[in-house]
Amino acid sequence: MRDVVVIGGGVVGCAVAWRLSTTGASVTLVEAAHDLCEGASKGNTGITTSGADCRPGTLEAELVRRSSPGWEALCARLDTPFHRIGTLAVAVTEDEEARLPALLEEARATGAPAEIVSGDAARELEPLVTPQARAALHFPEDGIIDSIRLTLGYAELAARNGVEVLRSSPVTAIERAGDRITALRAGPRRIQARAVVNAAGLGAGRISELAGGDPFTMWPRQGQYWLLDRELGVRFRKVVGGVPTETTRGIYCVPTTNRSLLLGPTAVDHSDPTDRAVDAETLEEVFEAARRLVPAVRREYAIKTFAANRPASEPVYRVGPDGRIANLVHAAAIRSTGVSSSPAVAELVRSALEQLGLPVGEERPGSLTALEPLPRLLGHPRPEQLVARDPRYGQVICACEQVTAAEIAAAHRMAVPPTSLDGVRKRTRATGGRCQGALCLSGVSFLHSIEAGRRPEQVAVSEPAATLGVPTDA
Amino acid sequence: MPEVVIVGAGITGLTCAAELRGHAGVTVVERVPVTGGVHGWEATETREQTAASGARLLLGATAVRWDGERLLAMDQDGAHLLPASVLVIATGTRPLGRAELGIAGPRPAGIVAATVAVHLAENGLLVGRRPLVMGGGDWAHRAANELLEAGAERVTMACPDGVLAGYAEQGEDLDHLRKIHGARPVRVGGQPRVQYVELSNGDVQACDALVLAHGVVPLRNVDGAVWDGPRTVYAQPAADPATVAGARTAGSEAARAVRSLLESA
Repeated sequence: MRDVVVIGGGVVGCAVAWRLSTTGASVTLVEAAHDLCEGASKGNTGITTSGADCRPGTLEAELVRRSSPGWEALCARLDTPFHRIGTLAVAVTEDEEARLPALLEEARATGAPAEIVSGDAARELEPLVTPQARAALHFPEDGIIDSIRLTLGYAELAARNGVEVLRSSPVTAIERAGDRITALRAGPRRIQARAVVNAAGLGAGRISELAGGDPFTMWPRQGQYWLLDRELGVRFRKVVGGVPTETTRGIYCVPTTNRSLLLGPTAVDHSDPTDRAVDAETLEEVFEAARRLVPAVRREYAIKTFAANRPASEPVYRVGPDGRIANLVHAAAIRSTGVSSSPAVAELVRSALEQLGLPVGEERPGSLTALEPLPRLLGHPRPEQLVARDPRYGQVICACEQVTAAEIAAAHRMAVPPTSLDGVRKRTRATGGRCQGALCLSGVSFLHSIEAGRRPEQVAVSEPAATLGVPTDA
Repeated sequence: MPEVVIVGAGITGLTCAAELRGHAGVTVVERVPVTGGVHGWEATETREQTAASGARLLLGATAVRWDGERLLAMDQDGAHLLPASVLVIATGTRPLGRAELGIAGPRPAGIVAATVAVHLAENGLLVGRRPLVMGGGDWAHRAANELLEAGAERVTMACPDGVLAGYAEQGEDLDHLRKIHGARPVRVGGQPRVQYVELSNGDVQACDALVLAHGVVPLRNVDGAVWDGPRTVYAQPAADPATVAGARTAGSEAARAVRSLLESA
């Protein structure tokens, strides 16, 4: 019997597991996919908004506002890259400029610090901004974060504190006695639970339905992205976006914490949550929208294109107890601001569980509150010290991202280790650079095969059936 | 004498080193523990050119960062900070990647660079039994041959720019090797592994891997020298096939560029 079962290993579910892990509760986290952070949490802009994305007076705005000031401290504890560099929403046309005052007012109403700056001032803040810029809305408190490392950092700290993490464990049935959940089936396991947290992202509507809880409608909103080389990314000082309209926030140029440059996302509602296909026309639109803001963006810098689905829903931000099932708490329908609100969502879920009588009211003495940072070669000021500490730091496997054998080995010793080459990339960046593994993929798969104790032909790119190789004797 | 660091101990880098003898102290940094690059350490030209280079060889070390004055190279002995007046990037080439080729569709397993497919095949791991190889040049044919040797049943080649001279006859009469001229993959499909590739001529080709072997782009990953690094000379001949003669010419040109940079300094 577990006190709490958290369904969903994205940023929200992992944040909840992390928050509960330092209390007295026994917690299991179940994730349907082969790894944590496989949905919207890995395919997003990596911006922590200070509130400009949100409507004033909403729960979303409140949770984002509560989370924003704490990023530096939290990311230091979770070994997660974060930089509070600010966003410029650049107005190129007269019409766009005319919309800035209303947006400023709205941002201030949500509690997000903001100011309108002239075109010249915008170019002073970010010299790459187009000479066509007439003015811009500046959000100095916005940040950039590695959302994958954040999600995995939450999970790692949770697991080290005793949270049981089950991957490849889709929830197939939820058992009830009256208005209470008694147990659920996740993969091969049947788990008895005193309370259940629904943080299933795009699958949250279905989980609520399985549990007999409140209905809510969810659908995937697809975004397509470009990833550009860090030689361009390092030149950026600010996130650069356009002026939002009623229907869309538009395309951003985001210098990522990996120093690459991300362009995107688009926003297209559709029905198939597994559809992550890119198409040439949409990518072209993304590129042109980005070039309109930053003319230095050039096609030859491109290293990767990808698509991801974020949860769209009616209503949004369903965080709190279910209306029908007494021991079900939702952390669901969190549209595009899941990363930005995750610390406050986790705290709100904890407090809802406390009101249900779960033992989550007090911190457990001796629980771990910070991960020891793993040194990485990329950008390290004293690389010779790394090699002195472990000679495998001298063995650079992925030359583009400067990932060493020591870092890949360390990833496999984590509490939630990689089970695939994508898993290695998510934890170390190996194969994620400008040659996209053309030089190092075989070396990375060799090391993963050794470290994970897996035969070479069983090495998976992502899910277990997505193998790198095929059998030669069948 | 000024110091010059050359990254890459292929024929290009070694030729450049040889022609800088007497003008600069030269260190050649090479990622693998042998010289020769794509032409192989056992080639006669490699052995001659290695001896002629007269350079310090730092083999099995990866060049990591260039700040305009020093190159950081890493190997198991530690971190080497190599002072240099000029850096030469002679790190060879690679085929174009998926984003560079603009191939649409999802991201199933089984889409690999030819460099990876060949390396894995040489080590007994086959990326597909019925792979589609994109390209009609040297890399594409090497990949096709390695895949067949490693146990592939049939290889289809989609050759956007036709077939490289010298390979035109090869395989045209074989059941297990087919070449489609003038067509390029535009979209992939399948999950969890590749199941088909749509071609620009409208064909849909069933396959279980897509091997990218089209185009030749410089392989660059030294921080600070990916595009136009300060005091950096790029020597990466984009010829297909890569020839010893082409490498020697590129190495000589690079040496001339280095000397003129040294003189102007």
